[in-house]
Amino acid sequence: MKSMHIPIFLWALLGMGLFIPSAHARPVSYPGGVTLMLMNDGDKNTAHLHYSPTAKTSLGYKFEYWREKDFTLNAIQMNNLLKRWNKKDSQANIYLKSGIGVAHSNSGDFDNETEAAGFTGLATDWENRRFFISYENRYTEAGDIDDFYQQSARVGWAPYEGDYGDLHTWMMLQVEHMPEAKDNVTVTPLVRFFKGVHLLEAGMNNHGKLLFNYVLRY
Amino acid sequence: MKKLTLLLTALTLTFAAPVYATSEVTPAETQAERIEKSGDAHVSVNGLVCDFCARALEKVFGTEEAVESIDVDLDTKIITIYFIENQSLDNDRITTLITDAGYNVEAIHRVE
Repeated sequence: MKSMHIPIFLWALLGMGLFIPSAHARPVSYPGGVTLMLMNDGDKNTAHLHYSPTAKTSLGYKFEYWREKDFTLNAIQMNNLLKRWNKKDSQANIYLKSGIGVAHSNSGDFDNETEAAGFTGLATDWENRRFFISYENRYTEAGDIDDFYQQSARVGWAPYEGDYGDLHTWMMLQVEHMPEAKDNVTVTPLVRFFKGVHLLEAGMNNHGKLLFNYVLRY
Repeated sequence: MKKLTLLLTALTLTFAAPVYATSEVTPAETQAERIEKSGDAHVSVNGLVCDFCARALEKVFGTEEAVESIDVDLDTKIITIYFIENQSLDNDRITTLITDAGYNVEAIHRVE
């Protein structure tokens, strides 16, 4: 296990990004943009604040609380836009997301233990004004406390095309896979609303757990 | 029963949203009434797929002293840049601003 610590931290230092599987909000904003994300799902509660000095990079702070695993993660994060395709009516992106920080356990054999932690992953998406599809993955290493892999995908459909400044609505279906979990596949239908600088997502997964995300982009 | 109630509520909100979707007068709507003057620019942009894209360009051009306002049309993918009297930005500067914001310029046409 210890021999795996070095590779994951090297990846984290090389990539320095952040991956947030549950929100799928843009990981990088426009130059000078500040983004606050508050996310809650069946596994964790997350707060993420980041600043984008350019359209290709964001830097920020992330807090995660994994409820069943009962550990917290505090990390510095950076997202990197590796490639973007801008077409007349669509856009596609690939991001590298990694983070480095500290995990603290509140239970079991690792109660009150603190370990260095890191995570890394890739995210990709394609969208036009009616359809959206995305995929992302992440590997997290938190020393002796935990290490796990997760991946998720979303498809979305906009029932109408709003003009700039209108209330925009999307219906989405999210599928998450965490191999080590007892219920390792989670399906979440959700609805997304956004207007101006506010974005809100709400849904319920196939295990009866609520999803609620709020994003403020300024 | 609770899950069915939540699902029906979400579906109702989703399909009722268009009724309430139209905003109050926005900067874009007020700009539609503007009269274009010579030197203003129409810029065809690739990658404008969402409201956030338009907002990003508004923020970027908002920092330029020569720019009075912009209008972003998500249907035609055209940005109209309204300049302050006797001021302007050259095409290279416009292209740089849009490219740095993460989008691509297809063409720039000036109002004559």
